[in-house]
Amino acid sequence: MKPIVEMKNIVKIYDNGVVANNGVNFTVNKGEIHALVGENGAGKSTLMKILYGIEQPTEGEIVIDGKSVSFKSSMDAIDHKIGMVHQNFMLVPSFTVAANVVLGNEPIKNGFIDKDQVLNVTKELSDQFGLFVQPDAIVDSVNVGQRQRVEILKTLYRKAEILILDEPTAVLTPQETQDLFKAIRTLVHQGKTVIFITHKLREVKEISDRVTVMRHGKMIGTVDTKDVTREQMANMMVGREVFLNISKPTMKRAEKRMEIQNISFISETGRPVLRDVSFNLYAGEILGIAGVEGNGQTELVEVLTGLKRSAGGQAVVKGKNVLDRTPREVRQKGVSHIPEDRLTNGVALKESIEENLIVDRYFSKPYKKGMMLDYRLIENKGKDLIRQFGILTPNGKLPVESLSGGNMQKVIVARELSSNPYVLIASQPTRGIDVGATEFIREELVRLRTEGCAVLLVSADLSEVMSLSDRIVTLYEGKITGVFPDAAKVSEDELGLFMLGIKHQTNEEMEKFL
Amino acid sequence: MSLETVIRSILSTLFLASVIRISTPIIFPAMGGLIATVTGVPNMALEGIMNVGAFTGVMVSAYTGNVWLAILAGIIAGVLMALLLGLFHIYFKTNLFIGGLAINLMASGGTVFLLYILTGDKGNSSTVKSLSVPNWDIPVIKDIPFLGEVISGHPVFTYLAFLSVFLVYIFLYRTRFGTHLRAVGENPEAATTLGINVKTSRMIALAISGVFAALGGMNLSMAYLQFFQKEMAAGRGWIGIAAVHLGARKPLGVLLASLLFGFADAVSNQLGSLNIPSQLVQTIPYVTTVVALAVYAIQQRQAALERMKRYQKEHWEALAAHKAE
Amino acid sequence: MKSFFESKGFRELLRIVLAVSIGLALGFIITLFVSEDPVGAYKSFLLGPLSRLNRIGDWLEESLTLILLGLVICIVFGASQWYIGVEGQMVLGAMAAGCVALYVPLPPFPRILLAFLAAMVVGALWGLIPALLKAYYNANELVTSLMMNSVALKVFEYILKTFIMTPKSRSISSEFIDKPFRLPTFIPDWPFLQTIRELWEKQTSVTIMVYIVIAAVIVVYYLLFKTPFGYELRTVGLNTKFAHYGGINVKRTIIMSILVSGIVAGLAGAHLTLAIHNKIISNMTSGLGFEGINIAILAGNNPLGVPIAGLLYGYLRAGSDVMERSSDVSRELVFVIQAMVLLLVTAERLLPTIQKRVAEFKESNDSNNGSKPDLNKVKEGDSHVA
Repeated sequence: MKPIVEMKNIVKIYDNGVVANNGVNFTVNKGEIHALVGENGAGKSTLMKILYGIEQPTEGEIVIDGKSVSFKSSMDAIDHKIGMVHQNFMLVPSFTVAANVVLGNEPIKNGFIDKDQVLNVTKELSDQFGLFVQPDAIVDSVNVGQRQRVEILKTLYRKAEILILDEPTAVLTPQETQDLFKAIRTLVHQGKTVIFITHKLREVKEISDRVTVMRHGKMIGTVDTKDVTREQMANMMVGREVFLNISKPTMKRAEKRMEIQNISFISETGRPVLRDVSFNLYAGEILGIAGVEGNGQTELVEVLTGLKRSAGGQAVVKGKNVLDRTPREVRQKGVSHIPEDRLTNGVALKESIEENLIVDRYFSKPYKKGMMLDYRLIENKGKDLIRQFGILTPNGKLPVESLSGGNMQKVIVARELSSNPYVLIASQPTRGIDVGATEFIREELVRLRTEGCAVLLVSADLSEVMSLSDRIVTLYEGKITGVFPDAAKVSEDELGLFMLGIKHQTNEEMEKFL
Repeated sequence: MSLETVIRSILSTLFLASVIRISTPIIFPAMGGLIATVTGVPNMALEGIMNVGAFTGVMVSAYTGNVWLAILAGIIAGVLMALLLGLFHIYFKTNLFIGGLAINLMASGGTVFLLYILTGDKGNSSTVKSLSVPNWDIPVIKDIPFLGEVISGHPVFTYLAFLSVFLVYIFLYRTRFGTHLRAVGENPEAATTLGINVKTSRMIALAISGVFAALGGMNLSMAYLQFFQKEMAAGRGWIGIAAVHLGARKPLGVLLASLLFGFADAVSNQLGSLNIPSQLVQTIPYVTTVVALAVYAIQQRQAALERMKRYQKEHWEALAAHKAE
Repeated sequence: MKSFFESKGFRELLRIVLAVSIGLALGFIITLFVSEDPVGAYKSFLLGPLSRLNRIGDWLEESLTLILLGLVICIVFGASQWYIGVEGQMVLGAMAAGCVALYVPLPPFPRILLAFLAAMVVGALWGLIPALLKAYYNANELVTSLMMNSVALKVFEYILKTFIMTPKSRSISSEFIDKPFRLPTFIPDWPFLQTIRELWEKQTSVTIMVYIVIAAVIVVYYLLFKTPFGYELRTVGLNTKFAHYGGINVKRTIIMSILVSGIVAGLAGAHLTLAIHNKIISNMTSGLGFEGINIAILAGNNPLGVPIAGLLYGYLRAGSDVMERSSDVSRELVFVIQAMVLLLVTAERLLPTIQKRVAEFKESNDSNNGSKPDLNKVKEGDSHVA
């Protein structure tokens, strides 16, 4: 096996001082499927961005096919036959599939775009590599799996020999994932090399020839996939027990706080994202939703918190249905929400920390005094929360954007938890933030639960779900496939089967515990 | 005057010809606006550039005696103003609308300022002898009854305007560069990863829109009228922008929208001869825009709701069927 | 304390001051080219308003209108709405105020009060249509408000020509508002101020609007920064999604922001009728349509900065009038200057780009020591960057 990509001693330090890659050596052999794994923030995306020319290394050398290269932009990488499919697709929604495939280098006849050739080229590539697409379809109307295939065709159109796929299965259904794997095998069979970024160890075992593990910007090791188990990979990724030991005093089943009945949600493209979901939230309990991202968790949270309209169902809190009500009405019933998309929904970046902390309470006493806001009080309350939640800032009047990611999340957590919520819905509460803040937030969630709040936890971090939750529910393709009343008694493998829809409890089995 | 007379006068050749004439200085900025808008940089300075074009064309034609040189000068002036806007917006992050406002301000102030210096008059340039573009009596068509009178005999600019719609269509949908512009407007990040230079594309798009706006301005001062007047564009730059929105950002739609405005304007002129006060009648084009935009927006919302209702029905039926099993 | 000079606020102030200076300098350069006596012309421009009391009066009066217009924009831009229907609201407010002052049979004080009220209500209501369309259907408020301006101007003209116009006057306008129903001068009627009062009254027409405008500035400031409504408005302006998520009624906030701005716009219209012109006249709002944006940008969108910006531009406009009357340079120069200042102020990246270029230039001249970043010194930060 001959190395086709050699990244030697790559160092990447960003302007803000973050060391994303610290002396990484990464080699890929021609014709192999090479998995690159690591947690969020391990540095794998950065490494690939460097390989694709989007970023420049602070130090280090890249050798492609024996020749040392220096990429100033992704166009240079493309010239060297490297293609990349990003997590968020780079497609023009109103163009056709075929137009997107050839975008930037359209075939020309007599100075004008050769429409027939555009279609032909697309069809040929599609057939050659077994990547089914509808060349005439408008990209906006095709599903995610097809969009991804369009992205792959784009790279093949530009003669890519080395394909980098960044978390490709994150948005795919299991069937689409299998289709993708079939396509990857076809590509490799025809001589291409595939680098596959993922944090799903099962997929690593299924498809890759070799796997490289990264952690905290360093390369931990490269092994043949057949010689390593998932537990071993997990250990390399984290370096300690993946499963956290968070002490939780056992709680007895207390009163029902939110009754979720028959909730459905349909996406704008007509896809039923949630189908008839029902379960209950109880006081003093963390209910974790385990599922691969994209199975309806996001929409479930949005619908329960008033951000999106449902396609049916009820969510009853304190005797009243809060589904399809305004966010304020939902909040008035005592439901707080830590949003998944914290920069978009959770904060106003240019507003002060103090003012971010009051968005759910500024209109009532004591914050509102007569017709004015009591800014002295707002300042003091802000100081209290900053102290209580350990938010690192010299001054509560600074804009939220001056804070680090972890501290921004603490602002959100401080606000949502300090309203003494009846129900807390937390979506990806520790995603992408530093270790210290993560631990703190998890402890706060447990504290809240022990004090009697009903907590709904949605997280892509399975170990987090399993360690924090008292009860777990698995969500697959918008339906609940299983409920596990004692989170401590179920294994990751077992959960995985339900998360992937391979196993499915019957309604009778589930009814008792939902 | 009876209703019958009104209708008869609307269906007259004179009226229809006037619609074509009045629409022309709307089609030009609308086309320019279209190209800039689909590239993601809606040109808010169309109004000002029209004024600059109108002024430059008149002045250069008066001083050089050459119409074509004047047109070239007007185009160059328009392009420069557009590039100035582009420079400040794309490279210095000035907000597009505010930058456009600044250019418009500079244009209205600057043209009157220079007008005074060159002619000593602040209202219009009638003291200098400027030229106009020739009319074109189309050989065969001019003899066709009714149609001939409507279509033939307009200044060259008019035919250019209608031709430009076709050219813009070809440009945007059949050439590489035009397609790239559309990609830049819809997903600049994607365009960048494919090697398309977003900044350059946008500058060029603005420059092109400057050409169109300048032509529109010159159409005002060098076609039927032969002088420059303060604030000559009289809001047509803004109507051009409205037409882009009304026409759903497609060349044909924008043409139809521009014709709609031209028609409404012409009708209000016609009705002015009835004892309906001309001002109220003159509001027709503007009210039309608001109504059209409202209708469009409401319709979008309704369509989405209808679609969602349909999806929901399908979904519930599927659920019920599933439960029945 | 050193942080003040590094703070964002100071840098913004610096940028504004720099922009104005450069604008004025460029204006002078233009004058050099076109005038036979550039220095004289520019002197009359820069010093003219101060030379006579009546010119000072003109300056103050014009500034009052500009300040109100600046406040209008502070409100709508605060909510990040691209609503530019100010001119329409202003002109109809002007008409409403004038109609009340001319025709409603009430004694002076209540009549004037009602005039103001009418102007404010009409101004607010005129913004309703674009506001509703934007809030409920997300229709582009820029275009709709633009169209409403044109409609308003035509309606104004129609009403003026058809119902109100008097053949007595040379221009297209209404009768003059009778003396008792005009706004009194701003210097109070106190014994020890009598001489000053007479002087100002004779030479200028600066009215008690001064106090009204000062009050407006304070009210708008408090409204935006100390009330729940202001908080809602600013939060919607900074991040609409966050506002919605937090429970703020975004639709209502958008509508209210435009209506409230209409109240101030109507007030500006009332000022035009009741103070400046003392009648309803055609083209009352000429040249003022987008001035509010100029003022607000110059004031950094801060109501407290608006009076300064308003006075500055009012000064320059008055100065340009003096310049035109006493030299060969026409007053339009001031618009060109304003345009350049506007471009420079809003060019956020202009200063940093220049700084960067200067730094790069310096670096290429210094010898390169080839220093590398020290890996041990650099700390690992948040993982979300990788």
